[in-house]
Amino acid sequence: MNPLRVALAVARKDLRSEWRTRELVPALAQFIILALLIGNFGFQIDSRNAASIAPGILWLALVFAGLVAFGRTFTAEREQASLEAMLMTPASPVAIFAGKAIAASALLVVCEAVMLPALSLFFGTPLSGGVAAAVLLATVGMASLGCLFAAIVARVRARELLLPLLTLPLWIPFIIAGGQAVQSAMGQGGNYGGAISLLIDFDILFVVLTSLAARFVLDE
Amino acid sequence: MNRYEKAAGAAVALMLIAGAAIFFYAPTDWLQGPVQRIFYLHVSSAIAAFGSFAVVLVGGVIYLRNASPVADRLARAGALVGVVFTTVTLVMGMLWAKKVWGAFWVWDARLTSTLVLWIIYAGYLLVRRLADPGRQAARFAAVVGIFGFIDVPVVYFSVSWWATQHPGPVIINDALPPQMLATFLFTMACTAVLAGVMIAIRYRIEALLDERERVFEPANVIVAREPQTAP
Repeated sequence: MNPLRVALAVARKDLRSEWRTRELVPALAQFIILALLIGNFGFQIDSRNAASIAPGILWLALVFAGLVAFGRTFTAEREQASLEAMLMTPASPVAIFAGKAIAASALLVVCEAVMLPALSLFFGTPLSGGVAAAVLLATVGMASLGCLFAAIVARVRARELLLPLLTLPLWIPFIIAGGQAVQSAMGQGGNYGGAISLLIDFDILFVVLTSLAARFVLDE
Repeated sequence: MNRYEKAAGAAVALMLIAGAAIFFYAPTDWLQGPVQRIFYLHVSSAIAAFGSFAVVLVGGVIYLRNASPVADRLARAGALVGVVFTTVTLVMGMLWAKKVWGAFWVWDARLTSTLVLWIIYAGYLLVRRLADPGRQAARFAAVVGIFGFIDVPVVYFSVSWWATQHPGPVIINDALPPQMLATFLFTMACTAVLAGVMIAIRYRIEALLDERERVFEPANVIVAREPQTAP
Protein backbone atom coordinates (compact mmCIF):
# COMPACT_ATOMS: atom_id res chain seq x y z
CA MET A 1 0.00 0.00 0.00
CA ASN A 2 1.27 3.43 -0.89
CA PRO A 3 1.95 5.16 2.47
CA LEU A 4 1.14 8.58 1.06
CA ARG A 5 -2.30 7.44 -0.06
CA VAL A 6 -2.91 5.80 3.32
CA ALA A 7 -1.94 9.00 5.13
CA LEU A 8 -4.21 11.10 2.95
CA ALA A 9 -7.07 8.65 3.39
CA VAL A 10 -6.73 8.75 7.18
CA ALA A 11 -6.52 12.54 7.12
CA ARG A 12 -9.58 12.73 4.88
CA LYS A 13 -11.49 10.43 7.24
CA ASP A 14 -10.65 12.59 10.27
CA LEU A 15 -11.50 15.81 8.49
CA ARG A 16 -14.78 14.38 7.21
CA SER A 17 -15.82 13.28 10.70
CA GLU A 18 -14.96 16.76 12.00
CA TRP A 19 -16.95 18.30 9.13
CA ARG A 20 -19.97 16.18 10.00
CA THR A 21 -19.94 16.84 13.73
CA ARG A 22 -18.42 20.36 13.64
CA GLU A 23 -17.35 20.03 17.25
CA LEU A 24 -13.71 20.93 17.54
CA VAL A 25 -13.14 23.90 15.23
CA PRO A 26 -16.00 26.13 16.52
CA ALA A 27 -14.97 25.37 20.10
CA LEU A 28 -11.33 26.15 19.38
CA ALA A 29 -12.16 29.35 17.50
CA GLN A 30 -14.22 30.52 20.45
CA PHE A 31 -11.42 29.51 22.80
CA ILE A 32 -8.97 31.63 20.82
CA ILE A 33 -11.24 34.68 20.86
CA LEU A 34 -11.63 34.25 24.63
CA ALA A 35 -7.86 34.05 25.01
CA LEU A 36 -7.49 37.36 23.15
CA LEU A 37 -10.13 38.85 25.44
CA ILE A 38 -8.27 37.66 28.54
CA GLY A 39 -5.05 39.07 27.08
CA ASN A 40 -6.74 42.42 26.69
CA PHE A 41 -7.93 42.53 30.31
CA GLY A 42 -4.72 41.07 31.68
CA PHE A 43 -2.46 43.59 30.00
CA GLN A 44 -4.34 46.91 29.65
CA ILE A 45 -3.68 47.08 25.90
CA ASP A 46 -3.46 50.43 24.14
CA SER A 47 -2.14 51.50 20.77
CA ARG A 48 1.43 51.98 22.06
CA ASN A 49 2.03 48.59 23.67
CA ALA A 50 -0.16 46.38 21.47
CA ALA A 51 2.64 45.44 19.09
CA SER A 52 4.91 44.27 21.89
CA ILE A 53 2.25 42.26 23.72
CA ALA A 54 0.38 40.74 20.75
CA PRO A 55 3.08 38.16 19.84
CA GLY A 56 3.02 36.76 23.37
CA ILE A 57 -0.76 36.47 23.39
CA LEU A 58 -0.65 34.86 19.94
CA TRP A 59 1.68 32.09 21.11
CA LEU A 60 -0.13 31.51 24.39
CA ALA A 61 -3.48 31.16 22.59
CA LEU A 62 -1.98 28.99 19.85
CA VAL A 63 -0.17 26.65 22.23
CA PHE A 64 -3.19 26.00 24.40
CA ALA A 65 -5.54 25.67 21.43
CA GLY A 66 -3.03 23.20 19.98
CA LEU A 67 -3.02 21.17 23.19
CA VAL A 68 -6.81 20.89 23.04
CA ALA A 69 -6.76 20.01 19.33
CA PHE A 70 -4.06 17.33 19.58
CA GLY A 71 -5.52 15.94 22.79
CA ARG A 72 -8.65 15.11 20.80
CA THR A 73 -6.91 13.40 17.85
CA PHE A 74 -7.01 9.95 19.38
CA THR A 75 -10.12 10.38 21.56
CA ALA A 76 -12.61 9.12 19.01
CA GLU A 77 -10.34 6.24 18.02
CA ARG A 78 -10.00 5.23 21.64
CA GLU A 79 -13.72 5.44 22.37
CA GLN A 80 -14.61 3.32 19.33
CA ALA A 81 -11.50 1.10 19.62
CA SER A 82 -11.01 1.81 15.93
CA LEU A 83 -7.26 2.41 16.14
CA GLU A 84 -6.70 -1.31 16.68
CA ALA A 85 -8.79 -2.03 13.60
CA MET A 86 -6.74 0.40 11.52
CA LEU A 87 -3.51 -1.11 12.77
CA MET A 88 -4.67 -4.57 11.77
CA THR A 89 -4.82 -3.49 8.13
CA PRO A 90 -1.65 -3.80 6.04
CA ALA A 91 -1.24 0.01 6.19
CA SER A 92 1.95 1.05 7.96
CA PRO A 93 1.53 2.63 11.42
CA VAL A 94 3.71 5.54 10.35
CA ALA A 95 1.32 6.35 7.48
CA ILE A 96 -1.67 6.20 9.84
CA PHE A 97 0.14 8.45 12.30
CA ALA A 98 1.05 10.89 9.51
CA GLY A 99 -2.58 11.01 8.40
CA LYS A 100 -3.77 11.86 11.90
CA ALA A 101 -1.08 14.52 12.24
CA ILE A 102 -2.04 16.05 8.88
CA ALA A 103 -5.71 16.20 9.90
CA ALA A 104 -4.95 17.71 13.30
CA SER A 105 -2.68 20.34 11.83
CA ALA A 106 -5.29 21.20 9.19
CA LEU A 107 -7.79 21.85 11.98
CA LEU A 108 -5.26 24.00 13.79
CA VAL A 109 -4.59 25.95 10.58
CA VAL A 110 -8.33 26.69 10.38
CA CYS A 111 -8.15 28.05 13.93
CA GLU A 112 -5.14 30.15 12.97
CA ALA A 113 -7.17 31.56 10.10
CA VAL A 114 -9.53 32.85 12.79
CA MET A 115 -6.84 33.93 15.21
CA LEU A 116 -4.59 36.04 12.98
CA PRO A 117 -7.35 38.33 11.62
CA ALA A 118 -8.86 38.60 15.11
CA LEU A 119 -5.48 39.54 16.54
CA SER A 120 -5.04 42.16 13.87
CA LEU A 121 -8.58 43.43 14.43
CA PHE A 122 -8.42 43.69 18.23
CA PHE A 123 -4.77 44.61 18.70
CA GLY A 124 -4.15 46.62 15.54
CA THR A 125 -1.06 44.61 14.58
CA PRO A 126 -0.24 44.20 10.88
CA LEU A 127 -1.66 41.06 9.30
CA SER A 128 1.32 40.14 7.18
CA GLY A 129 2.47 37.11 5.25
CA GLY A 130 5.53 37.04 7.49
CA VAL A 131 3.44 36.38 10.60
CA ALA A 132 1.35 33.75 8.82
CA ALA A 133 4.46 31.98 7.49
CA ALA A 134 6.02 31.77 10.96
CA VAL A 135 2.82 30.44 12.52
CA LEU A 136 2.30 27.87 9.75
CA LEU A 137 5.90 26.64 9.94
CA ALA A 138 5.61 26.25 13.71
CA THR A 139 2.34 24.35 13.25
CA VAL A 140 4.09 21.61 11.22
CA GLY A 141 6.54 20.67 13.96
CA MET A 142 4.10 21.26 16.80
CA ALA A 143 1.57 18.97 15.11
CA SER A 144 4.05 16.12 14.66
CA LEU A 145 5.15 16.29 18.31
CA GLY A 146 1.64 16.91 19.60
CA CYS A 147 0.20 13.91 17.78
CA LEU A 148 3.02 11.64 18.91
CA PHE A 149 2.43 12.47 22.56
CA ALA A 150 -1.34 12.38 22.09
CA ALA A 151 -0.92 8.80 20.86
CA ILE A 152 1.18 8.02 23.92
CA VAL A 153 -1.16 9.49 26.49
CA ALA A 154 -4.27 8.05 24.82
CA ARG A 155 -3.57 4.77 26.59
CA VAL A 156 -2.48 6.24 29.91
CA ARG A 157 -4.54 7.26 32.90
CA ALA A 158 -4.76 11.02 33.60
CA ARG A 159 -4.11 11.82 29.94
CA GLU A 160 -5.40 15.39 30.25
CA LEU A 161 -2.73 15.98 32.88
CA LEU A 162 0.10 14.37 31.02
CA LEU A 163 -0.31 15.76 27.51
CA PRO A 164 0.64 19.36 28.43
CA LEU A 165 3.46 18.17 30.67
CA LEU A 166 5.07 16.13 27.90
CA THR A 167 4.28 18.34 24.93
CA LEU A 168 4.89 21.88 26.15
CA PRO A 169 8.61 21.46 27.00
CA LEU A 170 9.28 20.00 23.55
CA TRP A 171 7.29 22.76 21.86
CA ILE A 172 9.54 25.38 23.40
CA PRO A 173 12.00 25.40 20.45
CA PHE A 174 9.11 26.32 18.16
CA ILE A 175 7.92 29.02 20.55
CA ILE A 176 11.45 30.47 20.79
CA ALA A 177 12.01 30.59 17.02
CA GLY A 178 8.39 31.37 16.14
CA GLY A 179 8.26 34.04 18.83
CA GLN A 180 11.33 35.76 17.39
CA ALA A 181 9.92 35.56 13.85
CA VAL A 182 6.52 36.99 14.82
CA GLN A 183 8.06 39.75 16.93
CA SER A 184 10.26 40.78 14.05
CA ALA A 185 7.38 40.56 11.54
CA MET A 186 5.33 42.82 13.82
CA GLY A 187 8.05 45.43 13.70
CA GLN A 188 9.85 44.71 16.98
CA GLY A 189 13.22 44.23 15.32
CA GLY A 190 15.28 41.05 15.25
CA ASN A 191 16.43 38.73 12.53
CA TYR A 192 13.34 37.42 10.70
CA GLY A 193 15.20 35.27 8.17
CA GLY A 194 17.32 33.61 10.85
CA ALA A 195 14.28 32.74 12.96
CA ILE A 196 12.44 31.32 9.94
CA SER A 197 15.35 29.11 8.92
CA LEU A 198 15.63 27.92 12.54
CA LEU A 199 11.92 27.03 12.40
CA ILE A 200 12.50 25.03 9.21
CA ASP A 201 15.43 23.20 10.85
CA PHE A 202 13.29 22.31 13.88
CA ASP A 203 10.47 21.17 11.56
CA ILE A 204 12.76 18.80 9.68
CA LEU A 205 14.34 17.47 12.87
CA PHE A 206 11.08 16.77 14.67
CA VAL A 207 9.15 15.44 11.66
CA VAL A 208 11.95 12.92 11.01
CA LEU A 209 12.21 11.96 14.70
CA THR A 210 8.47 11.60 15.22
CA SER A 211 8.06 9.45 12.12
CA LEU A 212 10.86 7.20 13.40
CA ALA A 213 9.20 7.01 16.83
CA ALA A 214 5.59 6.63 15.61
CA ARG A 215 6.13 2.93 14.88
CA PHE A 216 6.97 2.22 18.51
CA VAL A 217 4.06 4.22 19.85
CA LEU A 218 1.28 2.89 17.62
CA ASP A 219 2.54 -0.61 16.94
CA GLU A 220 1.12 -2.64 19.81
CA MET B 1 26.45 -4.51 55.40
CA ASN B 2 25.57 -5.55 51.87
CA ARG B 3 27.44 -4.30 48.82
CA TYR B 4 24.96 -1.48 48.15
CA GLU B 5 25.47 -0.08 51.64
CA LYS B 6 29.24 -0.35 51.24
CA ALA B 7 29.12 1.45 47.88
CA ALA B 8 26.87 4.17 49.30
CA GLY B 9 29.22 4.64 52.27
CA ALA B 10 32.21 4.92 49.94
CA ALA B 11 30.44 7.46 47.73
CA VAL B 12 29.46 9.61 50.73
CA ALA B 13 33.03 9.46 52.05
CA LEU B 14 34.36 10.56 48.65
CA MET B 15 31.93 13.49 48.57
CA LEU B 16 33.08 14.56 52.06
CA ILE B 17 36.71 14.51 50.88
CA ALA B 18 35.65 16.54 47.82
CA GLY B 19 33.97 19.01 50.18
CA ALA B 20 37.16 19.32 52.18
CA ALA B 21 39.12 19.93 48.96
CA ILE B 22 36.64 22.61 47.87
CA PHE B 23 36.82 24.50 51.16
CA PHE B 24 40.43 23.96 52.28
CA TYR B 25 42.53 23.17 49.20
CA ALA B 26 41.04 25.29 46.42
CA PRO B 27 42.08 28.97 46.52
CA THR B 28 39.48 31.69 47.10
CA ASP B 29 38.44 33.48 43.92
CA TRP B 30 39.95 36.93 43.77
CA LEU B 31 36.91 38.59 42.23
CA GLN B 32 33.89 36.70 43.62
CA GLY B 33 35.18 35.59 47.00
CA PRO B 34 34.11 32.38 48.74
CA VAL B 35 30.82 32.09 46.83
CA GLN B 36 32.80 30.93 43.79
CA ARG B 37 33.29 27.60 45.61
CA ILE B 38 29.76 26.72 44.50
CA PHE B 39 31.29 26.25 41.04
CA TYR B 40 32.79 22.82 41.77
CA LEU B 41 29.61 21.03 42.73
CA HIS B 42 27.39 23.12 40.42
CA VAL B 43 29.27 22.07 37.28
CA SER B 44 29.96 18.53 38.51
CA SER B 45 26.29 17.83 39.19
CA ALA B 46 25.31 19.30 35.80
CA ILE B 47 27.68 16.84 34.13
CA ALA B 48 26.39 14.01 36.33
CA ALA B 49 22.85 14.94 35.26
CA PHE B 50 23.87 14.84 31.57
CA GLY B 51 25.44 11.43 32.14
CA SER B 52 22.31 10.12 33.87
CA PHE B 53 20.13 11.35 31.00
CA ALA B 54 22.50 9.63 28.58
CA VAL B 55 21.73 6.44 30.51
CA VAL B 56 18.01 7.14 29.93
CA LEU B 57 18.68 7.64 26.21
CA VAL B 58 20.75 4.49 25.79
CA GLY B 59 18.36 2.45 27.94
CA GLY B 60 15.42 3.71 25.87
CA VAL B 61 17.06 2.90 22.54
CA ILE B 62 18.03 -0.59 23.70
CA TYR B 63 14.54 -1.15 25.09
CA LEU B 64 12.92 -0.20 21.78
CA ARG B 65 15.24 -2.62 19.97
CA ASN B 66 14.88 -5.71 22.11
CA ALA B 67 12.39 -4.97 24.95
CA SER B 68 14.99 -5.78 27.60
CA PRO B 69 13.68 -5.12 31.13
CA VAL B 70 17.26 -4.42 32.23
CA ALA B 71 17.54 -1.49 29.82
CA ASP B 72 14.18 -0.13 30.97
CA ARG B 73 15.11 -0.29 34.65
CA LEU B 74 18.40 1.44 33.91
CA ALA B 75 16.48 4.20 32.10
CA ARG B 76 14.11 4.61 35.05
CA ALA B 77 17.00 4.79 37.49
CA GLY B 78 18.89 7.25 35.26
CA ALA B 79 15.90 9.56 34.95
CA LEU B 80 15.36 9.82 38.70
CA VAL B 81 19.04 10.38 39.47
CA GLY B 82 19.32 12.86 36.59
CA VAL B 83 16.39 14.90 37.94
CA VAL B 84 18.04 14.94 41.38
CA PHE B 85 21.32 16.25 39.96
CA THR B 86 19.54 18.79 37.74
CA THR B 87 17.75 20.05 40.86
CA VAL B 88 21.08 20.37 42.66
CA THR B 89 22.54 22.25 39.68
CA LEU B 90 19.58 24.64 39.49
CA VAL B 91 19.43 25.36 43.22
CA MET B 92 23.18 25.88 43.61
CA GLY B 93 23.19 28.03 40.48
CA MET B 94 20.38 30.18 41.84
CA LEU B 95 22.20 30.74 45.13
CA TRP B 96 25.36 31.70 43.25
CA ALA B 97 23.40 33.95 40.87
CA LYS B 98 21.75 35.81 43.75
CA LYS B 99 25.19 36.67 45.09
CA VAL B 100 26.99 37.63 41.86
CA TRP B 101 24.16 38.75 39.54
CA GLY B 102 21.81 40.12 42.21
CA ALA B 103 18.87 37.89 41.18
CA PHE B 104 18.04 34.24 41.65
CA TRP B 105 16.91 33.87 38.08
CA VAL B 106 17.52 35.51 34.71
CA TRP B 107 15.87 34.26 31.52
CA ASP B 108 18.96 33.48 29.54
CA ALA B 109 19.27 30.46 27.26
CA ARG B 110 21.40 28.33 29.62
CA LEU B 111 19.09 28.75 32.61
CA THR B 112 15.91 28.38 30.59
CA SER B 113 17.05 25.28 28.71
CA THR B 114 18.18 23.69 31.99
CA LEU B 115 14.78 24.38 33.52
CA VAL B 116 13.16 22.80 30.45
CA LEU B 117 15.43 19.78 30.90
CA TRP B 118 14.21 19.41 34.47
CA ILE B 119 10.58 19.65 33.35
CA ILE B 120 11.07 17.08 30.56
CA TYR B 121 12.50 14.43 32.85
CA ALA B 122 10.10 15.23 35.67
CA GLY B 123 7.44 14.55 33.00
CA TYR B 124 9.20 11.28 32.20
CA LEU B 125 8.91 10.24 35.84
CA LEU B 126 5.22 11.23 35.81
CA VAL B 127 4.60 9.07 32.74
CA ARG B 128 6.11 6.17 34.63
CA ARG B 129 3.89 6.85 37.59
CA LEU B 130 0.63 7.40 35.68
CA ALA B 131 0.93 4.67 33.04
CA ASP B 132 0.15 1.16 34.17
CA PRO B 133 3.52 -0.45 34.72
CA GLY B 134 4.52 -2.90 32.02
CA ARG B 135 5.77 -3.11 28.48
CA GLN B 136 3.58 -0.31 27.15
CA ALA B 137 4.67 2.17 29.80
CA ALA B 138 8.28 1.20 29.20
CA ARG B 139 7.95 1.74 25.47
CA PHE B 140 6.23 5.14 25.84
CA ALA B 141 8.76 6.26 28.42
CA ALA B 142 11.58 5.20 26.08
CA VAL B 143 10.18 7.52 23.40
CA VAL B 144 9.85 10.37 25.90
CA GLY B 145 13.41 9.78 27.13
CA ILE B 146 14.84 9.78 23.60
CA PHE B 147 13.04 13.02 22.65
CA GLY B 148 13.94 14.62 25.94
CA PHE B 149 17.63 14.06 25.34
CA ILE B 150 17.48 16.56 22.45
CA ASP B 151 17.57 19.25 25.12
CA VAL B 152 20.89 18.07 26.59
CA PRO B 153 23.08 19.34 23.72
CA VAL B 154 20.92 22.48 23.64
CA VAL B 155 21.78 23.12 27.30
CA TYR B 156 25.44 22.38 26.68
CA PHE B 157 25.84 24.57 23.60
CA SER B 158 23.41 27.30 24.71
CA VAL B 159 26.30 29.42 25.98
CA SER B 160 27.93 29.33 22.55
CA TRP B 161 24.77 29.63 20.43
CA TRP B 162 23.20 32.57 22.23
CA ALA B 163 24.48 35.54 24.17
CA THR B 164 23.94 34.39 27.74
CA GLN B 165 24.59 35.91 31.11
CA HIS B 166 25.72 32.48 32.24
CA PRO B 167 29.47 32.15 31.61
CA GLY B 168 30.75 29.86 28.88
CA PRO B 169 32.79 26.71 29.39
CA VAL B 170 35.85 27.34 31.58
CA ILE B 171 37.23 23.80 31.75
CA ILE B 172 37.80 23.12 28.05
CA ASN B 173 38.95 26.71 27.53
CA ASP B 174 41.72 26.15 30.09
CA ALA B 175 40.64 29.21 32.10
CA LEU B 176 41.24 27.75 35.58
CA PRO B 177 44.40 27.93 37.69
CA PRO B 178 45.86 24.45 38.35
CA GLN B 179 44.66 24.14 41.97
CA MET B 180 41.10 25.00 40.99
CA LEU B 181 41.28 22.62 38.04
CA ALA B 182 42.55 19.79 40.27
CA THR B 183 39.76 20.43 42.80
CA PHE B 184 37.20 20.50 40.04
CA LEU B 185 38.40 17.27 38.41
CA PHE B 186 38.43 15.52 41.79
CA THR B 187 34.92 16.75 42.67
CA MET B 188 33.76 15.73 39.19
CA ALA B 189 35.12 12.19 39.67
CA CYS B 190 33.53 11.88 43.13
CA THR B 191 30.18 13.14 41.82
CA ALA B 192 30.35 10.64 38.94
CA VAL B 193 30.93 7.83 41.46
CA LEU B 194 28.02 9.09 43.55
CA ALA B 195 25.73 9.21 40.50
CA GLY B 196 26.80 5.72 39.47
CA VAL B 197 26.12 4.33 42.95
CA MET B 198 22.75 6.09 43.08
CA ILE B 199 21.78 4.62 39.70
CA ALA B 200 22.87 1.15 40.84
CA ILE B 201 20.83 1.38 44.05
CA ARG B 202 17.79 2.71 42.20
CA TYR B 203 18.19 -0.06 39.63
CA ARG B 204 18.02 -2.59 42.46
CA ILE B 205 14.87 -0.95 43.87
CA GLU B 206 13.24 -0.95 40.44
CA ALA B 207 14.16 -4.61 39.92
CA LEU B 208 12.58 -5.55 43.26
CA LEU B 209 9.45 -3.54 42.41
CA ASP B 210 9.19 -5.25 39.01
CA GLU B 211 9.55 -8.61 40.67
CA ARG B 212 6.82 -7.84 43.16
CA GLU B 213 4.43 -6.45 40.55
CA ARG B 214 5.44 -9.05 37.94
CA VAL B 215 5.23 -6.32 35.31
CA PHE B 216 7.37 -7.96 32.68
CA GLU B 217 5.68 -11.33 32.75
CA PRO B 218 3.22 -11.87 29.89
CA ALA B 219 -0.34 -11.55 31.17
CA ASN B 220 -1.59 -14.60 29.35
CA VAL B 221 1.25 -16.92 30.22
CA ILE B 222 0.15 -20.45 30.95
CA VAL B 223 2.01 -21.79 33.92
CA ALA B 224 3.02 -25.37 33.34
CA ARG B 225 1.82 -27.65 36.12
CA GLU B 226 2.57 -31.21 36.93
CA PRO B 227 -0.10 -33.31 35.23
CA GLN B 228 -2.47 -34.43 37.92
CA THR B 229 -2.97 -38.11 38.01
CA ALA B 230 -6.50 -39.25 38.47
CA PRO B 231 -7.04 -40.91 41.82
